[in-house]
Amino acid sequence: MTPASILGIGIVFSRGRGRNALECALSGGWVPPSAPADGAPGWAFPAYRISSETLSDKAVLRPMRRADRFSKLAALAAWDAAREAGISPAGERHTGIVLSSAFGPHVTTFKFLDDIIQYGCRGVSPTIFSHSVHNAAASYIAKLLDCRGPTQTVTRFGFSFHEALRLAGAWLEEGRCDHVLLGAVDECGTAMEYCCSQMLQPAPDGRIKPFDLADAPVAVPGEAGVFFVLGRPHASSDAWARIAVRDEPLPGTAKADLLVLDADGMSGSESGLRALVDESTPVAAYAPLFGSIMTGSALSAAVAALSLQRGRAFGSPVLDNPHGLNLCAQDTPVSRIVCAKRDCKDRVAMLELAANS
Amino acid sequence: MSRPVWITGLGAISALGDGVPATLGALAAGERHCGPVSLFESDLACPVFEVRGIPPDDSPEAPMRTVQLALRAVDEALSDAGLTTPLSGLRVGVCMGTTVACQLNDIDFYARFRATGEAPMHSVERYLKANLADAVAEAIGSSGPGLTVANACSSGTDAIGTAVSWLRSGLCDIAVAGGADELNRVPLCGFNALGVASPEPCKPYDATRRGLNLGEGAGVLVLETEESARARGVAGTLRLAGYGSYADAYHLTAPSPDGASLEAAIREAVRQAGITLNRVAFVNTHGTATRDNDKVEGSVLARLFGPSLPFVSTKGYTGHTLGAAGGLEAVFTALALREGWAPASAGFEQVDEEIAMAPLTARTDLQGSYALSTSLAFGGNNSAVIIEARRGE
Repeated sequence: MTPASILGIGIVFSRGRGRNALECALSGGWVPPSAPADGAPGWAFPAYRISSETLSDKAVLRPMRRADRFSKLAALAAWDAAREAGISPAGERHTGIVLSSAFGPHVTTFKFLDDIIQYGCRGVSPTIFSHSVHNAAASYIAKLLDCRGPTQTVTRFGFSFHEALRLAGAWLEEGRCDHVLLGAVDECGTAMEYCCSQMLQPAPDGRIKPFDLADAPVAVPGEAGVFFVLGRPHASSDAWARIAVRDEPLPGTAKADLLVLDADGMSGSESGLRALVDESTPVAAYAPLFGSIMTGSALSAAVAALSLQRGRAFGSPVLDNPHGLNLCAQDTPVSRIVCAKRDCKDRVAMLELAANS
Repeated sequence: MSRPVWITGLGAISALGDGVPATLGALAAGERHCGPVSLFESDLACPVFEVRGIPPDDSPEAPMRTVQLALRAVDEALSDAGLTTPLSGLRVGVCMGTTVACQLNDIDFYARFRATGEAPMHSVERYLKANLADAVAEAIGSSGPGLTVANACSSGTDAIGTAVSWLRSGLCDIAVAGGADELNRVPLCGFNALGVASPEPCKPYDATRRGLNLGEGAGVLVLETEESARARGVAGTLRLAGYGSYADAYHLTAPSPDGASLEAAIREAVRQAGITLNRVAFVNTHGTATRDNDKVEGSVLARLFGPSLPFVSTKGYTGHTLGAAGGLEAVFTALALREGWAPASAGFEQVDEEIAMAPLTARTDLQGSYALSTSLAFGGNNSAVIIEARRGE
């Protein structure tokens, strides 16, 4: 795909909201996840959860008081990205929205199932049902920003963000859109935590260990929303970076200054990522800051974009390095970064970000 | 006009029947297989359109019903396109729309978890194998781009539009695109709660319409670039000529009363096709039979095309198949052009004075080469595709 320019980023995660929160987290390093609540069942995981305060911006969210948490999370990230990019799509049809999510608003889906189980088919809430639909969040964003361009919600589990980026790039290339709000949103509810407890390896010390590249990697569930405003290549000299799905295998013709491993224990064995690592390319991983999130590649891309904007990489928050990989030092100069993810079927997908020069 | 995309294969399964020949036969005969829910327990008196001949299978190893439906339509479409699986050596993308398959909404799993704090994981594992694009790609051995569109009722149409984007931008040479959804208790309860589920067989565009009936099925197109279709010798008569999609930015569940974004989507699809509105010979509408949808959609069509344009809603034959609807209705639209006739709009009897036009009341021969299929979705998404039948080539 033709690279797109990143004109703005909005992010909401367990360490806060916005660019400053992201920079603070990257500078501050790893912090433990929040422990399960008192009285939680034995399977309960520590997790990186977003506080209700982080999602309580009444000025932005006033028009969506009835919205569920998933939609608010998405809307705040999209709102911030639009402000950062300085776009105001009000009423026009050339700003599109692509929201990717591995699991969608599953907390609301389970809430609707609560209704069915408790009150029967005739006693359910229409409001909860309408919010349980995957594209409710994108609808709220469209209304919040009065954005009337093409709007899609898409999913492909671990590769949701990659395929969403491909779609956004096609819309820009076709001229269907001048800007695309491209996002990834996933939340962590109780039933999902239970599923994680049964299918993933809990991290005994609360640390995701991305450089273990283990067959049974450890995980710490997380949740986040991140949005990018994308424009055509060279849309602005102020762009953070350029981003594309990379189809060329590593190392390829354009060598990266940094390889970011999207390894968070969420997709089974990570040993296959070793084949992508070469001694001369520094390696980093940021999942320990955010938690294990199926669409976590979008968060790696946000970190990569921020690194490229300032021209220097951030060090990894967890440095356990049993294989002696060439870990990236803080402030290593960077102009091209590749983020690589492997899924449970041993397929690899990569993002490539380059400085906006 | 944008780069042409050929339709080289069609596959369909719905309450009308399993496969295109059965579908055409049932449409010609005006069959409506609508009745009470048999696939799961429900005390709701809402008739539904179930696919016959595929009994429910809740065994742990069985794939999700939505996947089963999708694969039947995919197999038929690939066979129609002269393609045999695995599709190794070809650049094939898969883009499928759904609503049910992307939700972890297994009531048995959740009821047990809720009651005991634990539950067996087989239904979760089944869900994780049911990402529709992934499941189809794995079954047919494709390795190109893959995406599942979860855009509520326009998912199938948007999946087709996405595949068109891929083909035009060179991401793949062939795309399998459409939608699939099974009848499921969760949306049945939800639509009933919203007050839009009809207690009788649905009557799209009728003055006395009382809402929709849910259905299930899958509709799939094989789409190809000009170069691929010509190289394989399958560039026949049908082309996907245009696609448009715009958001209302108005309301979570109700369409914008002015229909401006639906109009914009239709105009964009027509623009891409390189034609003018008066070249559109027929419309297969979204036509859910809810008060709001049919009023807004009918008003837009009358405004754009005038009151005499032939149009139908095929939901009177299939019910509202949600994520499958756009795929199925694109197949029906292509078939209408290919066969040269459109069916009567089942369920319609009485003109609604609020809608300035009426659907077809009898099987009608079609003149012209272009037809439109529209989709309006929860969340305010409006999508349209233009299909072309090239005559005399």
